[in-house]
Amino acid sequence: MGGDRTILALFLFGLAITAVMIIYPASHAIELSFQKAESFISEPEWVGLDNYVRVLSDMEFWDALRRGMVFSGWAIALQILLGIGFAVLLDANLPAQRVVRAITILPYLLPTLIVTLLVRWMLNDPIGIITIAFQNLGFGTVDWYGSPNLAMGMVILVSVWIWTPFVTISFLAGLQSVPESLYEAAKVDGASSWQRFWHITLPQLRPVLTVVILLRTIWMFNKFDIVWLLTRGGPLKATEHLPILAYRKAFESFDVGMGAAISTISFLILSVAVFIYFRLFPLDQKD
Amino acid sequence: MRQEFDVPLINRIALYAAMALAVAYSFFPIYWMLISSVRDPQVLYNSVDLLPGPYSIESYTTLLAATDFTIWFANSVQVALGTVVVTLILAVLISYAVTRLQIRGKTTIIGTMLYAYMFPPLLLAIPLYAIFVRLGLADTHMALIISHTTITLPLGVWLLWGFFKQLPPDVEEAAMVDGCSRLGAFFRVVLPLSLPGITTVAIFSFLLSWTDYTFALVMIDSDHKKTLPAGLETMVGQYELRDGELMAGSALIALPLLILFIFLNRYFIHGLAAGAVKR
Repeated sequence: MGGDRTILALFLFGLAITAVMIIYPASHAIELSFQKAESFISEPEWVGLDNYVRVLSDMEFWDALRRGMVFSGWAIALQILLGIGFAVLLDANLPAQRVVRAITILPYLLPTLIVTLLVRWMLNDPIGIITIAFQNLGFGTVDWYGSPNLAMGMVILVSVWIWTPFVTISFLAGLQSVPESLYEAAKVDGASSWQRFWHITLPQLRPVLTVVILLRTIWMFNKFDIVWLLTRGGPLKATEHLPILAYRKAFESFDVGMGAAISTISFLILSVAVFIYFRLFPLDQKD
Repeated sequence: MRQEFDVPLINRIALYAAMALAVAYSFFPIYWMLISSVRDPQVLYNSVDLLPGPYSIESYTTLLAATDFTIWFANSVQVALGTVVVTLILAVLISYAVTRLQIRGKTTIIGTMLYAYMFPPLLLAIPLYAIFVRLGLADTHMALIISHTTITLPLGVWLLWGFFKQLPPDVEEAAMVDGCSRLGAFFRVVLPLSLPGITTVAIFSFLLSWTDYTFALVMIDSDHKKTLPAGLETMVGQYELRDGELMAGSALIALPLLILFIFLNRYFIHGLAAGAVKR
């Protein structure tokens, strides 16, 4: 068919642009990680594995990796738990459910910057509304930005607030595809609502859960803006994870090679993790 | 679990209470942003009250007078629309061809695109910036549009691929029997039928571009070229803008998204769910 050739040509054109836009930068990042460059304009010099040796022998890197795992681990776990809870709640047949669903998605739409400004304002000392609420509840003044643990906790909780709706909506769609007959059969057999959740809902949601955990892990592990905007990696580097370390190296110390090496290593870690995950939980058992 | 309500009243009350809690949790911060932005700045630092007056639009007028907010707004519109157009054209081409043509290594192509999902944004931002510096594109909106497209394109191809797969090829074949060329069949039959998918991709590309901070921080240096989030952020320390003005700015950035959401919310929900459910 002659038309097929037109489509093929257009397709190759699109693919070429994609290659230039995505594959070339990614391979260029790997190339940069083998080079030494004092800035983005200077002529780079090939240094082999030097950047990698520097990164891996630097405690800063291992600390940042550990913090990144704490941050993304907690954020994902809480998002999943809260998301399942919300989905079950929103699946109940109540009036005004559509409006309620729409409202619970709103945090996902807000630009990260806005949320961080809002958090700053609500935690403002002395007049932020959360500050005052905590004082009235008898907790005194909480220094969210000053204490390492509290800063990490704050970054995690804010991430949970913003990104839980993704989990909620995915699960809600999953719940609605669970055949009603399964529940009815279980009811006839006298299963309690908890038993029905545990033995019907959760197993039916397994494929959704697999993908949601995968996507959330990838996105949370790479998340830069929320941490940067809330704490700049502080206090005392308590929230400095790999994306922030890479940014600091490349754009503050102008050690472009090191920044690229950190990003590449972080990408490799994620690739290995995803590979293992796919082995453990294959995606397309049927499809 | 859409069981009928033969459940006791007490459970029903608990359910309503939980729902009220979920709504408050999700909406209160947004309410607080809007309220703080229309409160009289004089009283903003004096008292906290859930329904606080007196109201005034002073925060808005100060914001617009003291900053380049309108310029950033125009920049954001330009970059977001550019990203949407580029993403749509490329995503439609690639995903349609992958579904309909007998190409070897189809799944490899989709797999590679999905792999791009995993790139840390900074892994792309660092080399992209280096490339843009060489090309003389650093500090331009074009650089930002290209950067955003590197993220939106894999997402768009994935979503549209799912959509085109579901359209039976018979529809186009029927049109082609009736004398349409493949291209004609594509424009007259396939595109209109896949409009919901295309709308979803457009919305998500817009959302990503409009809310992006990371790429804007890296790519744009000049203040007058900044997009909204990056521009407003430079104001946080510099001008000693008060929180009322920052809340006003935030409200103005959020408003277009909220309006889009009110009218197109089923596409939002579909797109969110498709990211996870469709495979």
